[in-house]
Amino acid sequence: MYGGGNVFEATKFDDVQVEDPVKLAEFEARIARGEKIEPTDWMPELYRKQLIRMIEQHAHSEIIGALPEGTWITRAPGFRRKMAQMAKVQDEVGHAQLLYSAAETLGKSREQMLTDLINGKSKYSNVFNYPAFTWADSNIISWLIDAGAIVNQMANAKGSYGPYSRALERICAEEAFHLKYGHDAVVHMATGTPKQREMIQAALNRWWPPIMTFFGPSDKMSTHTETLMRWKVKMASNDECRQQFLDMYVPKIWELGLTVPDPKLKKNMETGQWEYTEPDWDEFKRVINGDGPCNAERLAVRRTAEERGAWVRRALLNPKAKYVKPLA
Amino acid sequence: MSLKSLDPRVTRLNLPEGEVPAMEPKPELDQFETYEAFHQKKEGTAHTYVGPVHAPNEDVAFLFAKEQYSRRFPCVGLWIVRTENIQVTPYVGDQENVYDIITIEAPTERSEQAEPYEIFHLKKRGKAHAHAGRVMATSYPEALAEAKNAFGEKGPIVNVWVVKSKDILQSAEEDKDMWTTIPEKKYREAIAYKVMDKITKYKEENKPTTAQ
Amino acid sequence: MNEQAIKDLLYKLADDQLILGHRNSEWTGFGPILEEDIAFSSMAQDKIGHSLAFYTLLQELGEADPDTVAFTRNANQFHNSQLVELPNGEYDFSLIRHFLYDNAEIIRFEMLAQSSYEPITKVATKLKGEVKYHVLHANTWIKNLGTSTEEAILRLQSSLNEALPYALGMFEKSKYEQELIDAGVYAGEEAVKVEWLNRITAVIEKTDLKLPDLATIEPKFGGRYGEHTEHLQPLLDEMAEVFKIDPTAEW
Repeated sequence: MYGGGNVFEATKFDDVQVEDPVKLAEFEARIARGEKIEPTDWMPELYRKQLIRMIEQHAHSEIIGALPEGTWITRAPGFRRKMAQMAKVQDEVGHAQLLYSAAETLGKSREQMLTDLINGKSKYSNVFNYPAFTWADSNIISWLIDAGAIVNQMANAKGSYGPYSRALERICAEEAFHLKYGHDAVVHMATGTPKQREMIQAALNRWWPPIMTFFGPSDKMSTHTETLMRWKVKMASNDECRQQFLDMYVPKIWELGLTVPDPKLKKNMETGQWEYTEPDWDEFKRVINGDGPCNAERLAVRRTAEERGAWVRRALLNPKAKYVKPLA
Repeated sequence: MSLKSLDPRVTRLNLPEGEVPAMEPKPELDQFETYEAFHQKKEGTAHTYVGPVHAPNEDVAFLFAKEQYSRRFPCVGLWIVRTENIQVTPYVGDQENVYDIITIEAPTERSEQAEPYEIFHLKKRGKAHAHAGRVMATSYPEALAEAKNAFGEKGPIVNVWVVKSKDILQSAEEDKDMWTTIPEKKYREAIAYKVMDKITKYKEENKPTTAQ
Repeated sequence: MNEQAIKDLLYKLADDQLILGHRNSEWTGFGPILEEDIAFSSMAQDKIGHSLAFYTLLQELGEADPDTVAFTRNANQFHNSQLVELPNGEYDFSLIRHFLYDNAEIIRFEMLAQSSYEPITKVATKLKGEVKYHVLHANTWIKNLGTSTEEAILRLQSSLNEALPYALGMFEKSKYEQELIDAGVYAGEEAVKVEWLNRITAVIEKTDLKLPDLATIEPKFGGRYGEHTEHLQPLLDEMAEVFKIDPTAEW
């Protein structure tokens, strides 16, 4: 699960001009032909850095994203939900594994990425800093956050980096289950008892504002962004993703008689665009920078998991082993 | 005081409340070395690359790869190779054949110490390497030359991996039953979730009030 | 065939699997390394799936539906061994429990796959391959960690010593023991235990761990008859927290 949230803020890397013009031209021609870039190909430093950053944040979002829904893993009601909730949270951990591996092919070790996550040096999708108060919150996450993630991931799967595309193809196939499972659970709540209906509406009310920030603020177009789009690193603008998400899911929320807690939300039939209350981007920034309801807990849990497992890893460490980057 | 969480599992971890000092950077090899996994989707098909796992040895790598790469899709077998043991050619473009730039000549007479090597081809960038076949050789370059003769003509082939057969951990024939129930685990497949009936019924019953 | 005897057997199998699967699912997201987190979760899911299969057989014999049976009974109505209800502790304890439990489970499945009671035979035959992986997983880990650092060996040894009395409790005989044996349903707890001991000994001998003399250990019995530690009821309350908001609702 992953949003566009904080990926494409300004980076400090210098522009492309310092690269070898011949190699750069070959690289760009390959992408223009629709071919994927593979790990041992020459690539511009900006391309490598930006991809590491993006894939790493995506991986962190999966492993941290396992926590809000994990909150309800021991309390899922009934066998059907219990098994599916376990499988879904497991998939998020699995996705983290796939994505860390893809990022490793670009030269950053998993050790370094996990250290940077726990020490707050690299980010993850901001929505996971919000709590899952009830079972219904977990259902809303399973459905709508995963729906948002799929919009993003389907776009990114068409990107130019081979290992990331391969990981995303697998992830999208698995997420099809998440989306249906989440929808199924929400439908059961919305069409269930008055209590269930009340629970799901309350959860939707809590989650709608974070969902609207899921894709991040409108992109500031710069030469930098244009370059990344030409290199098929950035595949769609944050606003495009948000519009697509609203198009696909608002009708599905409405058909259940649920209320989206935004009085301004409507589709402008002339422009074909959704209009909505501008999300609170100040809060978004504050939470990204650490001051959200669950930031501290999420990182503390991750850290504790790593520390409690340290003896296992120490015990099995083979001192003669040599680390080699995964091949693809 | 320890942290009280909405997640009872987290509450039981007794996490300290408040600021914690930065974690020491993880040491090298904390996450072990890597192994590459190839799965066989059904009998008679080629083993295909699925991805890496981090593991301390190949037995554990097998345990890991089995669940990471074969829990959600049909599978009848799994091969595991330590990443270090795979020799990789350069990558060429999607319309090219990498064997065209390989000029090593296969020996005319096979040396006695020849051993089996497994050859994997990548047909298109962004796709996955698949097993092309086995050759006998005395070295990786020789195996590549043999592979060029044996299956190198059907292009495009953008990349080749060469592995000594003895470096592959292969799942045993008698262990196939570990995968037999995978297709039955419907609870983790999208197809198990069908709610149109509930939605239709709800809309029928609530027609006057649902208009937006 | 005495239907009560079959039900008793099914309940103890299913309750063991449900409670252990539930416990093991608590590790999801907290495992020692990502890959192991995934593997452990798969096995937890399998266990819950196995319990569902056995509760379904019970339903066919006239018991309540699996959700009601799993989510609304109190601790004193559960027939699981006390081993499976103990808190997870650190990973060493969870691994040792997994090792001790699954090496018995595979024997039960092998026997039940030959059972005279056909509904059980079918289920056991179908699910045996999954348990085979569980055993491979457990034995591989115990062999690896049990020959590694002093720290790991000490941890495993201490968990082994702690878990063994409870593990022996798994083999508590049912009041229908002889009937089940005579009817060819399975060979009974004593036979399972003898074979279990062979198998765990064979693994432990390949490590630096020591299997204490079992004769000196007092088994923790009672679980099969509804006597449990203080840990089971809170587990059940947590598991049913949402379900009990409205047990008649469809979740």
